Amino acid sequence: MSKLIFNRRRFLGTAAMTGAALASPAYLRRAHAQGGEVNIWTYNDFVPEAFKEQFEAETGIKVNVRLVDDQGKQFNLLAAEQPNPSVDIMTVAGHRFLQFIESDLLAPMDTDRLSNWDKINPTFSESDWSTINGNKWGVPILSGMEVLSYNTDLVTAEEAQTWDTLFSEKYKGQTAYIIQDMLSIVMLMKGYDGNFIEYADDHEKAAEIMAEIQQFMIEKKPLVRKYYDSGAEIQQMFVNQDIALGHSWNGPAAALINDGFPLAMSIPQEGSYGFVYTLNVANNAPNADNAYTFLDAMLSSPEIGAAMTKASGFISTYKDSAQYLTDLEKKSTSFPEEQLANLQFFRAEENELKYGLMDPAVEAIKAA
Amino acid sequence: MSNEAASRATQDVDAHTGVGRTFWGRLSNWSPYRALMGLVTASPRRQFLILAIFPLLWVLTQHLGPMLQMVRVSLTDAYPVAPGVEQHFTLDNYARFFGDQIFWQPFFRTLIFAGGFTFCTLILTYPVAYFLARHVSRKNQMLFLLLLLIPFWVGEIVRTYAIMILLGNTGALNLVLKTLGLIDRPIPFMYTSFSMGVGIVYLTALYMLLPLYSALEKLPRSYNEAAADLGAGAWTRFRRVTLPLTIEGISSGCTLVFLISTGFYATPVLLGGPSTTTFAETIAGFFHVAGDQWPTGAAFATIMFFAALVLTAVFQKLMNALRKGDTK
Repeated sequence: MSKLIFNRRRFLGTAAMTGAALASPAYLRRAHAQGGEVNIWTYNDFVPEAFKEQFEAETGIKVNVRLVDDQGKQFNLLAAEQPNPSVDIMTVAGHRFLQFIESDLLAPMDTDRLSNWDKINPTFSESDWSTINGNKWGVPILSGMEVLSYNTDLVTAEEAQTWDTLFSEKYKGQTAYIIQDMLSIVMLMKGYDGNFIEYADDHEKAAEIMAEIQQFMIEKKPLVRKYYDSGAEIQQMFVNQDIALGHSWNGPAAALINDGFPLAMSIPQEGSYGFVYTLNVANNAPNADNAYTFLDAMLSSPEIGAAMTKASGFISTYKDSAQYLTDLEKKSTSFPEEQLANLQFFRAEENELKYGLMDPAVEAIKAA
Repeated sequence: MSNEAASRATQDVDAHTGVGRTFWGRLSNWSPYRALMGLVTASPRRQFLILAIFPLLWVLTQHLGPMLQMVRVSLTDAYPVAPGVEQHFTLDNYARFFGDQIFWQPFFRTLIFAGGFTFCTLILTYPVAYFLARHVSRKNQMLFLLLLLIPFWVGEIVRTYAIMILLGNTGALNLVLKTLGLIDRPIPFMYTSFSMGVGIVYLTALYMLLPLYSALEKLPRSYNEAAADLGAGAWTRFRRVTLPLTIEGISSGCTLVFLISTGFYATPVLLGGPSTTTFAETIAGFFHVAGDQWPTGAAFATIMFFAALVLTAVFQKLMNALRKGDTK
């Protein structure tokens, strides 16, 4: 445990890491000298660097991380590689499970092999979306939400209480959003169900609604500065003052707040969506045993969950992880109760209908 | 010289040079090796075939192979093939492009952008190439070329980020304009067709510059001197002598830059805005979407490939006609 390297400014505080060091050796010693490797596809900052180095030193298992920034790309990459994938662990959002499961891309999660499974908050480990066909399919690690992020020097907290501000003439050319995510949010703005559950039996109505939303987005196109894809892009746009406000995931925004940037987030009154990132074992994973060793190690202490929050800005799913955050970090990863009441989770039941309509709409909006 | 004497002389030479002792010396004296070499060099045609086989294999497997695979995927209804799904031949992916006008806009926008950016690159780099070829001493030309090459030592993404630093709201250009008192608020250069154009011109300038430099450098100075003796002014000399005789360089440079510009992906994504979506971004969208969209992406890529080739062929024909017209 003496090999920890503190090479990241935002990374663990000494006290928290000492706690993690004390918490995990008993587990890691069991895995010592296992060797081999484990291949992981995940988002930037989801695997804390210090934990990775510690895990490699203690187990002899080399951790190969390939960064991804999109669920669809992971799906396509894995679909192309099956039945002999190069990846062991991937990062699928809970509401995208079904698509991966139906294509035989994921292996059911054997929670009996994870002695630390009970260290996850049951809100995430036992909720309805996490169990499909009687199986668990992933280890919930971080939860996020779609928020309105704004530069506090330029936009007031009152203005940030509604998504309308994002489409106002006042901020013309100073906004940015991810089109696909924004389509669901605009549906909420207009009183529709962005999960499409209500339209399961009325596909015609779903298509009409999507056409209306598409038209709205095309009309508002002259107001937007940039359609973006990754969290790093919007961070850069805020830092360069290219935008004053934008739709974002809470993680990248929280990371900027923790760095001292004058940024704040809100869940506007019209509502928004939340999601949970999970780590999953790929079907036919070449190093499945090492994958379970890695996952169990990752769950071994709440300090590791806190480290993931510190690095990524997303909210940890681990029990008691918040106590290892600073006041600023707690602030950047929490929301007032009245705003949280506006939040609902993305659901997967009608994904085929939803994305069947949304994907062409995204193309149409981009092309217009 | 008798055979015995010749053999002795060869042995003396071998002993002196060490040929017989080295690996290559032993190999060249090994009779199966000699027989093999005799076989492959028996005729010039056979020699040509042997020499051509490796480049041919390289082109077939590394260049044409992936493209043929892309065309094959574009003619299927499913790829990657999910378990239990049967793949069928179809032209639907091509029909989707021709049947939906949504896709025409980024397609034609890309071709227009590529044409416009190629013209801008030509206008900007021609004077540089002219200066380099005609006004820089031969011993300094390599140094100048090296200076121009330096940005190309780093990748496309890094150079694109350099443009972002230059053109951002807090970038160097806005800072200079503000310092000079010309603006109060930053001009939003970024995420527009302007920023995308600056990026693409910057990234492709060298591909234009080198053919132009090569053409200008080969042009004898005496031609211009003769034209001047006959009373032609600077503009007339350029228009009637320099420009027509460098049309080959212009043609090569424009072809390279146009073809490269049609395929740029990262630069439009990073520097472009909501109204600059290129066809490469549309194609990438099909490959990113989680679903069975790869064949559509492959079909669209094939359409762009052939469209760019056709336009390039037309352009080359025009250039050839111009060249012939001038030599008549």
